[in-house]
Amino acid sequence: MARKPILPCVALLAAILFPIFVRDPYFLHAAIMTLLFGYLASSWNIIGGLAGQHSFGHSAFFGIGAYTSTLLLLYLNVPPLLGMIAGGLLAAAMSIGIGYPCFKLRGPYFALSTLAFTEIFRVVVTTTEEVGSINLKGAAGILIPLRKGNSFVAFQFVEKAYYYYIILGMLLLILLIYSLIEKSRWGLYLAAIRDNEEAARSIGINTTFYKMLALFISAFFGATAGTFYGQFLLYIEPILFSSALGIEILLIAIVGGAGTLMGPFIGSLILTPISELTRTYLGGTYAGVQLIIYGGVLVAVMMFAPQGIVPHVAKRYRALLKGGRRPR
Amino acid sequence: MDRSILVPTRKSRTEMLSFIEATINGILMGGLYGFIAVSLSLIFGVAKIVNFAHGAFLMVAMFLVYWILVLLKIDPYVSAVLAAVFLFFFGYFFQNVFIEPILRREKETAPLTVILLTSGLMLVLENVALLLFGADYRMVKTSYTGKVWDIGGLLIVQPRLIGFILSLFLIFLTEIYLRKTNLGRAIRATSQDREAARLMGIDDYKVYKVVFGIGSTMLGFAASFLVPFYFIHPAIGELFVLKSFVIVVLGGLGSISGAFLAGIIVGLIESLGAQFINSAMVESLIFIIFIACLVVRPTGLLGKQRE
Repeated sequence: MARKPILPCVALLAAILFPIFVRDPYFLHAAIMTLLFGYLASSWNIIGGLAGQHSFGHSAFFGIGAYTSTLLLLYLNVPPLLGMIAGGLLAAAMSIGIGYPCFKLRGPYFALSTLAFTEIFRVVVTTTEEVGSINLKGAAGILIPLRKGNSFVAFQFVEKAYYYYIILGMLLLILLIYSLIEKSRWGLYLAAIRDNEEAARSIGINTTFYKMLALFISAFFGATAGTFYGQFLLYIEPILFSSALGIEILLIAIVGGAGTLMGPFIGSLILTPISELTRTYLGGTYAGVQLIIYGGVLVAVMMFAPQGIVPHVAKRYRALLKGGRRPR
Repeated sequence: MDRSILVPTRKSRTEMLSFIEATINGILMGGLYGFIAVSLSLIFGVAKIVNFAHGAFLMVAMFLVYWILVLLKIDPYVSAVLAAVFLFFFGYFFQNVFIEPILRREKETAPLTVILLTSGLMLVLENVALLLFGADYRMVKTSYTGKVWDIGGLLIVQPRLIGFILSLFLIFLTEIYLRKTNLGRAIRATSQDREAARLMGIDDYKVYKVVFGIGSTMLGFAASFLVPFYFIHPAIGELFVLKSFVIVVLGGLGSISGAFLAGIIVGLIESLGAQFINSAMVESLIFIIFIACLVVRPTGLLGKQRE
């Protein structure tokens, strides 16, 4: 039975119309951050969901992307859109060096080693003031100079709606890529690796190669999110490499449902607005409230719906539909 | 960063003296690292639980000791017992309420769900502390804070040496407990082969709870040893938890003497590195050693090779 895609179409239409009806820059900002984290978590989903390798260090790629495009812009005047691709390629290349040792490890050891990697990046970037003539500014972070007007070359827009549509397009692209990979032969290999790596290897799948390939793609898109972040907020700092951000990305994907198409986005849809709202309304006086909520949601999900919210709801929904029909 | 490493240096003193001093301070701090890592190693090695909230537990214990000192004027070395008892029940309860249901549900020995759960709890504990106590760095003032022994020109921070000796003693006690008591034997049996232990009539879930309790108890002591000379902050746990994982892996999973030795090695790298290279680079060096160790020799320095 073919399912009519009513819900996705309605959701997409609502997403496209959103900036037309919501003019308030604050809400638009929150919506952009939600899409950005949905995108970032979806890029994690290729290695974390499809291949089942729960990386705690996705922030490493995010940071590489942000720093690469920003430094290219500041020192060689490379348009950020090109810098975005350069950052993606650099992160993908780095992913080989990161994946090679990490993929030799399983479960908790894999998680810890990816976390260690991103912390190495954070420490190095935090303490490096300059490399040759390039000024990294260490812990202070780098400001991207403000330009006037809306420009795709400078990747800066006065109207936030531009950012909104760009990140929406990027999100749709990563969802498309995800579903293409999932349906391909490669996707089946990854599913086999996720379910039982030893068995997958025993039937002749080169597990390391396919995991590396998944990380490669995942890293590329994770880095592009970094460029977008830099151009949107016009400020980057070493915290982008932190394991705390790595955990946040993983948390969003897992809460929504790792290994499902829409899970990471739904996770972001639930968590990012909470984070944006608390940051604004409670802000300085109650710093960290959003992290209490994040942590609490994660604990609850792990205890009561360990597959994530999307699969949990889908299961209930299906059971409800089945319950409606009388068994013969 | 580790600010406590800043020991006053006089220009007149020779390079050699400061080297010896850094070595001694590294060993003393490393002993405490080792002690904290042993508590993590117990939980990690026996129950196969990756407790990301371990550092947050330490932070809870440190604040407990801190407030007992500030409000009730009870010395940290006395309130150590209180903190240890409190932390035992804290850990026992934690395992009972949060982790056990997951372990009963999932068949894997080290489910990722548990890592995520403990990271969630870490976020909650740390940020609740941040909300309650703010982001200030706190230091306590006791009669012996900052007191040093001058031994032939070598300066040794008193509370560090006391902490080191007490840690060593408690590790020794733990080792005896694991070897000589029935419950200790049950813990070791479960760590070697959970299924077989269960067939011998050992209640493995009870063992897990007790192990979690004991590991947390040790944190209660560790907190009391740290408070007299270390700063207190809601995120202090992060500083220790990653280092502890590094030490546990370096020392070999479940090996108590290995963890202690690795703790001293990490303490030495840190203090000598801070003196002679750059403390931030040393931090990344420790992570690099960690990854290299995981890949090249996953059984650790003193761990047994598995067949």
